[in-house]
Amino acid sequence: MKLTYLKQALADGLHTLLSRKIYLVCLIIVPLAFTWFFIDMMDEGLPLKVPSGVVDLDNYQLSRQVTRSLESSELVDISQKLESYHSAMLKVRSGEINGFFMIPENFQRDAIGGRTPTVTYYCNLTYFVPGSLMFKGFKTTAVTTAGGLVQTNLVAAGIPSSLASTTIQPMTMQIQAIGNPWMNYNYYLTNSFVPGIIALMVALVTAYSICEEIKRQRSRQWLSRAGNSIVVALAGKLIPQAIVEIAIGLCCQAIMYGFNHFPMNCPPSHMVWAMVLLVFASQAFALTICCLITNLRLAVSLCSLTGILAFSLAAFSFPVSSMYPPIGIFSYILPVRYYFLIYIDQALNGIPLYYSRTFYAALIVFLLVPLPLLWRLKRRMQEQVYLP
Amino acid sequence: MKRFFKNISQGAVTLMKVWRREYYLVFHDAGVMLFFFFLTVAYPLVYTFIYNPEIVENIPIAVVDNSRSEESRKLTRMIDATQGIEVWDYATNMEEAHRMENNHEVYGILEIPSDYARRIGRQEQGVVTFYCEMSLLLRYRTCLTALTDVQLAAGADIRQQTLDMIGLPAQEMGGMPIESEALMLGDPTQGFASFIMPGVLVLILQQSMLLGITMLAAGIKERRRRNGGIDPESIPAGPLTTIWGKTLCYITLYLPICVYVLDLVPIMFNLPHIGDFREMYLFIFPMLLATAFLGQTISVFVTERESSMLVIVFTSVVFLFISGLTWPRYAMNSLWTWVGDAIPATWGIEGFIRMNSNGSPLWEQSHPYMMLWLLCAIYMVTAWLVTHFSTPRLRPRLATRS
Repeated sequence: MKLTYLKQALADGLHTLLSRKIYLVCLIIVPLAFTWFFIDMMDEGLPLKVPSGVVDLDNYQLSRQVTRSLESSELVDISQKLESYHSAMLKVRSGEINGFFMIPENFQRDAIGGRTPTVTYYCNLTYFVPGSLMFKGFKTTAVTTAGGLVQTNLVAAGIPSSLASTTIQPMTMQIQAIGNPWMNYNYYLTNSFVPGIIALMVALVTAYSICEEIKRQRSRQWLSRAGNSIVVALAGKLIPQAIVEIAIGLCCQAIMYGFNHFPMNCPPSHMVWAMVLLVFASQAFALTICCLITNLRLAVSLCSLTGILAFSLAAFSFPVSSMYPPIGIFSYILPVRYYFLIYIDQALNGIPLYYSRTFYAALIVFLLVPLPLLWRLKRRMQEQVYLP
Repeated sequence: MKRFFKNISQGAVTLMKVWRREYYLVFHDAGVMLFFFFLTVAYPLVYTFIYNPEIVENIPIAVVDNSRSEESRKLTRMIDATQGIEVWDYATNMEEAHRMENNHEVYGILEIPSDYARRIGRQEQGVVTFYCEMSLLLRYRTCLTALTDVQLAAGADIRQQTLDMIGLPAQEMGGMPIESEALMLGDPTQGFASFIMPGVLVLILQQSMLLGITMLAAGIKERRRRNGGIDPESIPAGPLTTIWGKTLCYITLYLPICVYVLDLVPIMFNLPHIGDFREMYLFIFPMLLATAFLGQTISVFVTERESSMLVIVFTSVVFLFISGLTWPRYAMNSLWTWVGDAIPATWGIEGFIRMNSNGSPLWEQSHPYMMLWLLCAIYMVTAWLVTHFSTPRLRPRLATRS
């Protein structure tokens, strides 16, 4: 008896899913288009060759040498040679260049004569990534120029050149970037933002599809066709959605890890399960909100408000440990946070599954949260009053 | 001539009516109020609270010190003393350090080889390795900056000693012949909130307005469906009068909101805010106008109040990225640059952060400013077309009925 209800509910759910364009757009087109957008936009991996300028007030051999070594850096592109601080600043503020390197007057004379001239470099950090890359490029040039001069002095003083070079840099730190040695922004951002979008769309569609039934005053009918069981009714509606979403989620993973060779240092099944759990957990998250908020339209709003905050709160870019604790704690109520942690452990770092056990468990806990609240939703569905 | 003036005055009266009716619709719709007022008031606060710690400090790392010498301990102390890194614990070997990392206790491992001190004593180059966990590039950046500074400082120390030993005047020989000074423009503290918030603030203005406008438009369509194609709440008016009347309503609501979002919030949280706000206000005006018209244009895709959220919300992420705030526009391919060109917030963000954070006057932002006016013109035409073709022809039908 129950099985027939379930079949009927599933058939109904599938029918609504196929009958509305908005589901097609939100569940299939948006995640796929978003994945393409990210991967295509950040195709280069790192925005090298930051447009920048040089202000050479000395124009002697040494200063021209500095300019040449700046030009040869892969990090900056010396597109402008400017005559004054003022004109360089103007270019920065108008956005033509992101910063500039300034060599003072009498630079060569002072450098050789031991009067320690100061080179100054200005990096516009209002755009963080190019600003940081440019800072790195400028700093390297400034330090190596100084080092070159010290080496000349030392060799001139009679120190063998091999010893001179170690004297300039007696110790060095090799910094190994594990998992993403290219500092590839595509790997870094796509891996977190695509699941973020999937979680957002899953939650929105879940809330919207439940809300829609009440709004169109079909919820009582929906419930009765499912044998008056809220669990069967919801299963009929949410399982077809989940299957589509999981398929799309796995498709996005295939695009990232398969076709675009994003680093994946774990067996694929670890990420597949993470995606499956993410979809169900996001549905459960939206369902919980629907059960808690009396006005269902408000529930949809709340899903969208939290879904969009999740991109910041789940700490894709700014770590939770650095947030204020009362704010940071909210990151742990978001399913996508756990998916992100699983991705870091598994795909990026490839550590044993054991260490990620709590994250998988947390995603499963999300599935249980709405269960004790379902009666509230059921009561509202029976009342079937829509408050616009 | 008389008729001409009469037409104008009639048009103005209808415009006022549409304008007033739109206020009524906005203030009688909790959903729209939520977007127009709650979102614009709360989100700047929430986002700034998230990012307000600005910088990442004291990233825990593990140290595997195989050298166990004075030099290696000194190096560890220097690293521990940086703002960015904190030596969380010593590990006896790499395996133990990895275990700490796997347990998410540390985010980096410093390995000092057993011959570190010996090599320095022999005037060879001492090499230490730092393994950085790459989940967040902000962490990597902090570690990199801290370690580079330590490398330069420790190197200078050792160099001094070597030259003293050789008997050369260290100050002349080993002291750096060139000083260098880095100045960070726009975001002198290199903080994350100071970087991202000015852009996010502008985007909040655009997205909240789009959400509200599409929701209002969907409300009209719902009422039409319920009432046989007629919306009892709307004032019968020509398409141009309708879109201008509505736009005036949205603009007048958003101008005061702008003062809060773009002026008060940066002051409250001590974000960069060095430009002249009056000029920023002038700059943001065409963005609001363009957004109002854009909202009325895309309303064509939205037929239900709730679906406006489904259609608009995810675009916030797309628009944030396409504005070039995270991934610069010079590195995008032409497709995404064109798409970005068509979004008011792209130019709004670009111009606003230059004025707000770099202190640029309005005349220097003539390019984004002109682009915003151009978008205004384009979206006004599209909004007019959309309104023209989607409004049911009421008058002839009413005429025949009467």
